[in-house]
Amino acid sequence: MNGFSPALCAHVERIREWGRAEVRPAGLEADRSGAPLPADHPYFAKYMGFRRDNPAALDDDSVPEGPAVRMAVFNEENAYWDRGMGVATPGPGLPSRIVATSGTSDQRERFLGPFRCTDQPRWGSFALTEPGGGSDTAAFRTRATRTDRGYLLSGAKCFIGNAARAEWVLVQANLDPEKGRAGQRAFFVEHGNRGMTGIKIEKKMGLRAYESVSFILEDCEVPHENILGGERPAPTSRSGAYAETMGTLNTTRVGVAASAVGMARSAYDEALGFAKASGAIKAVRVRDRLEAMHRQLRAAWLMTLRAAWKADRKIPNIVDASMAKVFAAETAQELASAGMEIVGIEAGAGHHLVEKLFRDAKALNIVEGTGQIQRIIMGRSLVGLPR
Amino acid sequence: MDFTQSESDDIIAETIGRFAVDELRPRLREFEVARSVSKTVRDSYAALGFEALDLPEDAGGAGLGMISRVRINRLLAEADAGAALALDRFAPAVYVIEAFGGIAALKSFGAMLGRPDIRFALVMDDGAGASPGARVEGGAAWVPAMRADVLVGLGPQGAWVLQEGFSFEPVAGAALHAAGASRVRFAGTPILVWQDPASAARALAKVRLYYASLISGVLADAAGFSRMYALDRVAFGKPIAHHQALAFLIVDMHVAVERVGLLLEDAARAVDAGDDRAVGAAAAAFIDAVEVSRFVGPNGVQILGGHGFMRDFPVEKAMRDARALGLLAGGCDAAREDAGAALTATIPLGAAA
Repeated sequence: MNGFSPALCAHVERIREWGRAEVRPAGLEADRSGAPLPADHPYFAKYMGFRRDNPAALDDDSVPEGPAVRMAVFNEENAYWDRGMGVATPGPGLPSRIVATSGTSDQRERFLGPFRCTDQPRWGSFALTEPGGGSDTAAFRTRATRTDRGYLLSGAKCFIGNAARAEWVLVQANLDPEKGRAGQRAFFVEHGNRGMTGIKIEKKMGLRAYESVSFILEDCEVPHENILGGERPAPTSRSGAYAETMGTLNTTRVGVAASAVGMARSAYDEALGFAKASGAIKAVRVRDRLEAMHRQLRAAWLMTLRAAWKADRKIPNIVDASMAKVFAAETAQELASAGMEIVGIEAGAGHHLVEKLFRDAKALNIVEGTGQIQRIIMGRSLVGLPR
Repeated sequence: MDFTQSESDDIIAETIGRFAVDELRPRLREFEVARSVSKTVRDSYAALGFEALDLPEDAGGAGLGMISRVRINRLLAEADAGAALALDRFAPAVYVIEAFGGIAALKSFGAMLGRPDIRFALVMDDGAGASPGARVEGGAAWVPAMRADVLVGLGPQGAWVLQEGFSFEPVAGAALHAAGASRVRFAGTPILVWQDPASAARALAKVRLYYASLISGVLADAAGFSRMYALDRVAFGKPIAHHQALAFLIVDMHVAVERVGLLLEDAARAVDAGDDRAVGAAAAAFIDAVEVSRFVGPNGVQILGGHGFMRDFPVEKAMRDARALGLLAGGCDAAREDAGAALTATIPLGAAA
């Protein structure tokens, strides 16, 4: 593994072994059944055992690489084996950073503390997207109203990862719509809250291994202490929780790019393996196509690593992160598509991994800011594109 | 994986960058018409001490690696790729001599290397090294140079060096006019001949990176210049850069230029480290530079519209220069052969790469 420390490589090797033995088969099982593996599936209990034996690599002080580079390397390797299973992995998930940085000490203990135990799988979830607002996260319509007993949440959320099985869902809602973005706050809605209704696990084209959940919040009551950061005076800044959310997305964008690279590598390896086994690699057109795939893959990986490397050095990386996100996501899609072409009619039968990757990869150019949103972000920096 | 630029590279970049902006860029069209870079500018470049960057220190050079050369070429070509070629009296021909014969071969040129007007040129010759000891005969329809004292031929099997028995005949040239343009004919007995495919591959890797880095600089200029123009030019009440169709095009051009730069530096690091993947990576970087030039070059002109087509602006020159540079080093299809061949070897990728 060129350029990485032995300590990081050792972690990657363990992830690789786990991925080959457990993650890939589980992802294929979920894909073929058309639904996420149930929360009591043996895979998850086994995963907790793996986690016990292999403490989180991100927390390993012996790894000299910075946290963003580590995240990129781990995401890449995890997604190589199955991106959907990566999202389905037990843990607090996307909101963990927001809770760690913006939660009160009580909230950190209450909502993140249980995840330190590895006795059973637990999930957290983050509800941002709404039926009427995808990329425009500032246009939330979910409302929060303060009452003597707590807060009443009303609205609808969609495509929320792991929300049906989560111990709690961190829901973004507007407490003071007149203040616009500054009125936004986040609320912990705990599992079993009767105000969280109409729970629907979506049927998806790909990434079937994790739940994408839509639900309605109907006078969903949460106690006062469930508002993230506690009850505090209205923020003086313009954007409130919106800024916290966007800060998280800026960081995870590189992680998504890395996942896309992992999927692209998987598609490339499938295509190369097939071309070698079938002898198709002797055809100049096939070889040239593989060369172009390999080159694009390498460029996507370098872009991703550079964005992560800058993040670790506190070098502004907004353009780099968006560039990596859009380029890697498009690379994953293009390589999966080209991979299907190399595998040929066999891919049409619907049982080849490259066909699954083709369906899976599309999502990466949609989640956490579509390719168009990334271009707008870059356009703001490069040509001052107005907001 | 480290993207850091060394302190000495920073200093070189600052000096070269200033020279390119102050001395080369303002004389872009003057050099084109003259088909050469003026003596004053050549002297000023020589005074900076960058003329023999690629020669090993033992041979009187700076002994810098490919990563430095790639960065320097990019800066020079952002100002004028033709002038960059005109200013370089050694590379990429000396890469070939060094790859096959090492420092001893370079030193065999003795005091010649120190002559202020000595010039090496490179031609691609598929038959090079095939028959050691025999005369070489052939030609190249276009070489971006007006003359040379030493002509080096490189092919997949080997290389040769001629000190006489060759001629340069001026031709119109499609681009890179500041360097001059000649048809080269050779028929003579080489003073040095080598047959060694491995050395040929190593030399070609450096030659490809040399030209690809010039393409990369030209593309950075095309993308940067057209971006600034789009911010100035107003249509329908706002800068044309703020119309989303152009904003997205500008963004995509920027991403494409970055992509080439990353692959180039990655390959240059591999070459400097003597990495097994260097030959394939250099070929891939060359292909990428050429492919991206087909996107960025014409779109640089497109953003300026009718003005882009006129010689008042440098984007038409960038489009031609980038296209022409991609024909050198044996061209893109030859690079595809080598990059494709590298795929049959086991090359770990992604996080494992």
